[in-house]
Amino acid sequence: MERVLTLSERLQRILDEAEKAAELKIEEARRRAEEMITRAKEEAENRRIRAERGDGIEDLTRAEEEKAKLEAARILEEYRAKAEDLRRVPEERFREAVELILREVIPR
Amino acid sequence: MRIPTLELEAQLIERTVERRNRIISEAEERARRIIQAAERECERIRAESERQVLNIISSELRAIRDRIVGRAIIEGRKMVMLAREEMISKVRTEVERRLLEIAQGKTGEIDYEAVLIRLIEEAASAMGGEEFIIAANKKDLEYLRSHIGSVEGTLQPSLGKVKLELENEPIDVMGGVIVRNRDGTKIYNNTLEGRLRKIWSKMEAEVAKRLGLI
Repeated sequence: MERVLTLSERLQRILDEAEKAAELKIEEARRRAEEMITRAKEEAENRRIRAERGDGIEDLTRAEEEKAKLEAARILEEYRAKAEDLRRVPEERFREAVELILREVIPR
Repeated sequence: MRIPTLELEAQLIERTVERRNRIISEAEERARRIIQAAERECERIRAESERQVLNIISSELRAIRDRIVGRAIIEGRKMVMLAREEMISKVRTEVERRLLEIAQGKTGEIDYEAVLIRLIEEAASAMGGEEFIIAANKKDLEYLRSHIGSVEGTLQPSLGKVKLELENEPIDVMGGVIVRNRDGTKIYNNTLEGRLRKIWSKMEAEVAKRLGLI
């Protein structure tokens, strides 16, 4: 029985150590989380200050440029298609326009 | 029933190990959740920061967009405008080709000589008077020279008695006439080119409409 009790103490120690290790892990996670958030806040603040000075916004201006270029390409394509459509005047309309002018130029 | 001591110890150890493992794994799970929550918070901070930065530089970004997209719109409009002009110009070229055919008498549907007399009549009627000097191209001058009497006769019912004179030198036109009075105070350009120019300026929009360009 005495042996079991000694064992029980040893086992309790294992559990105590486990509790301590668990607390450490959580503590370490909290510390890391805090660091992460602090760093994110600092970076955000720096970025805001730099943006106000016009610094460090190249990524945003470049992204806007790329976005605008895509939009420009789409717009140009639409106009190109419209221009092509305009060039496809049916022969009948073309003849009608020619006759309209001829009727006015040639007195009959 | 009596449980032997060794077995009891084994059970105790096993339960303890299980519990220890559970304590560790629960702690790991909590730690993971703490980090995850922090990551989410960081993400929110970054997103908020980006939103603030975008607000700060929005006018600059708008200027970039306007510059690039604006240029495309101008270029696109130019493309469409050129296509319109191209089609309208095709009509004009075809009209000029047909007028030349008519003036050269190559088409059977229009009596160009009657047209020529009508052009003289229109000019003379607009100017008023009895004597007119007519300039025309070589072919038309030759025709008028050899038919001057009958032309004057044709004009008589509408204009009364008129006297027509022809310029000696031909003018470089497709067809039609330039009519002037003797002292040159009145000139009426009734050449085909002149008429086309005048009518074109009035009717270009109508042509575009007929072509379905506007």
